[in-house]
Amino acid sequence: MLTEEKKKEILERLKNGVIQYDEDAVKEAAQEAVELGMDANEAIFDGLVSGMEEVGRLFEEQEYFVPELLMCADALYAGLDILKPHVKKMDLGVKGSVVIGTVEGDVHDIGKNIVKMMFDVAGFEVYDLGRDVPLDKFVEEQLKTDSELVCLSAMMTTTMVGMQKVIEKLRAKNPNVKIMIGGAPVSKEIAEKWGADGYAPDANNALKEAINMISALKKMREEAESNKTQS
Amino acid sequence: MAVSISNSKERITRLFNGEPIDRTPCFSGMGNVTTEGLKSFGYKFASTHLDAKQMADVAASTYKLFGFECAVVPFDLCVEAEALGCQINVYAHSEDILYPTIKEKVIHNEDEMDITIPSDLLERGRIKLVQEAIRLLKDDIGDEVPIGTYVLGPFTLAGQIMELNDLLKLSFKKPDKVGALLDKLADVIIDIARAYEETGVDYITVREMGATSDVLSPRVFKNLILPYLKKIFDQLKGNTVLHICGKTNDIAPFMMESGAKAISVDQKNDVAETRKKLGADALIFGNYDPYNVLVTGDEEKVRSTIRECIENGVSAVWPGCDIWPTVPPENMKAMMDEINRR
Repeated sequence: MLTEEKKKEILERLKNGVIQYDEDAVKEAAQEAVELGMDANEAIFDGLVSGMEEVGRLFEEQEYFVPELLMCADALYAGLDILKPHVKKMDLGVKGSVVIGTVEGDVHDIGKNIVKMMFDVAGFEVYDLGRDVPLDKFVEEQLKTDSELVCLSAMMTTTMVGMQKVIEKLRAKNPNVKIMIGGAPVSKEIAEKWGADGYAPDANNALKEAINMISALKKMREEAESNKTQS
Repeated sequence: MAVSISNSKERITRLFNGEPIDRTPCFSGMGNVTTEGLKSFGYKFASTHLDAKQMADVAASTYKLFGFECAVVPFDLCVEAEALGCQINVYAHSEDILYPTIKEKVIHNEDEMDITIPSDLLERGRIKLVQEAIRLLKDDIGDEVPIGTYVLGPFTLAGQIMELNDLLKLSFKKPDKVGALLDKLADVIIDIARAYEETGVDYITVREMGATSDVLSPRVFKNLILPYLKKIFDQLKGNTVLHICGKTNDIAPFMMESGAKAISVDQKNDVAETRKKLGADALIFGNYDPYNVLVTGDEEKVRSTIRECIENGVSAVWPGCDIWPTVPPENMKAMMDEINRR
C-alpha cells in the first residue's frame, strides 16, 4: 500500500541517495516506487531532482567539487533508468528536443554531460553528439532532428571561438533555434556578441541554469496537475 | 636606485634569482605563437607541432615581432601523453587554429591503471623534436631572451591518458590507486623535464590546471596532488614555475609549498590577496586574461589590465593561459609599450 507516509519516505530516500551519491540506495528506492505504483514523475522531480538541487547548493558552497558532482549524477541516473519507463508523457507545450555536444578541438565533456543529465530528467529527446564534434555536424543534426535547442560546450579558450561559427551557421539555416553556450571561457559579453540565447560559464552555472529550467518545468507540471484535479 | 639591465634574458634570470631588476618583466611559460608570426613564415599552425625548425621559428617570432620577453616550445599539451603511447590528432585538415588533442588513451578502465613506463621514454613521440627546437632557439635568440618549455603536472597528465570522468571519481573513491599512478607519472615528468634542462632551457613551467579548485577541493589538492608536485620540483635543478588556472586563492600557499621557484595564476586569482598571503619575496606570475583582454579587448583595456596586474603585485606580467594566436598585433604592441613605460 502506498500511504502518504510511505511516499514521503521513498522521496526522501531518493533525494538523500542522490546527495550522498549512494547508487544502491537510489536504485532500491526507485524499485520500490515502481512496485508500489508511485507516480514516476513525482519520484523523479520530488525525489531525484530535489536531491540534485541540494547538490547544486553544496557545489556552490564548495562543500562539493566535481568528483562528488559526478558521483551524484551517477546516482541520479541509476534511479532515472528505473523510473523512466514508467513516466507518463507530460504536455508542456514544447516538443522538447535538444542537440548537444562539445565543439571540435575540445575533448572535455563533463560540463556538457551535466547539462545533458538535466535534459534527460526533464524528458527531453537528447541528441548527444559527444565531444570533439566537427562544427558542421551541429547544423546537420539540428536540421535532421528539427530540435528547438542546441547546446554547445567548450572547456578551453582555444576551442571556444569555434562556437561563434556554429552559431552563425545555425542562425543562417534556422533563425528561430535557441542556442545555449557553455564552458569555462564563456562570458555574458561573448554570448551576447555571438548571438547565443543563454550561457553557462562553469559546471556550477550549467547546473544552476539546468536546475532553473527543470524547476520551471516542475512548476508547470504542478499547475497542470492542480488544473486536472479542479476540472 | 636604477638597476642597469642589458636585455630580457638578464632581467628574467635576475628575477628568478631574487635580484633587483629595472622593471616588471612581461613573458610567459606557456604557448605564445601568434598568427602574425605564422604568417611571416607562411606556416600552418597544424604543421608547426611536427617540425622542429617551424616550431622554433614561430616561437621566436613573438619576441622578434613584438619584443615579448621569451620564446617557449612546444605549443600543445600532448607531448608527454604521446610518449606514453597515446595517439594524437593535430587537425591537419582544419583551416582554423585547433590545438592537438588525444585521440586514443592508454588507460581505458580502472584495471589498466597499473601502467608500465616505456624504457625508451625519451626517444618516443616528439620529445627529441622539442629538444631540437630548444637548441635552435638557443642558437637563434638564446643570448637575448630566456628560452622556456613546459610539461604537464601528474594529475593533468593522468587526465590526458585516461578518461577525466573516471580519474575524478577515482580520486575520491580510490585515492591510493590514483596516487600510485600519479607517482609513476611524476617520474615520467621528471625524466622529460630533466632532458629539457640538459638541452639548456632557462625555465620550465609545470602545468597542473587539472587540479584547479574549480574541479578539486583544496583538501584533495593538498593530500593527493601536492606530494607528487613536491617530488617533481625536488628533482629539477633549474628555474621552475607551477601554473594552475581557475580558482587558486585557497591553494596558492600549497602551490608555493610545492617547491616551484615561482607560481603562475590566472585572472580568477585575487593577486593582491595572494601577495599578502605569500609575502613580498614570493614570485607570483600573472594574471591577465589572454583572450578577453588581449584578443578581444582594445588597446586601452590591455594597458589598464597590465597596470592593474602590476598594482596588485605580480612579479612578472604573464598570461593566465596560452596566448590565443589571433591576438591583434596592436594589442601585443600596446602591452609591451605599457611595460616599457615603467
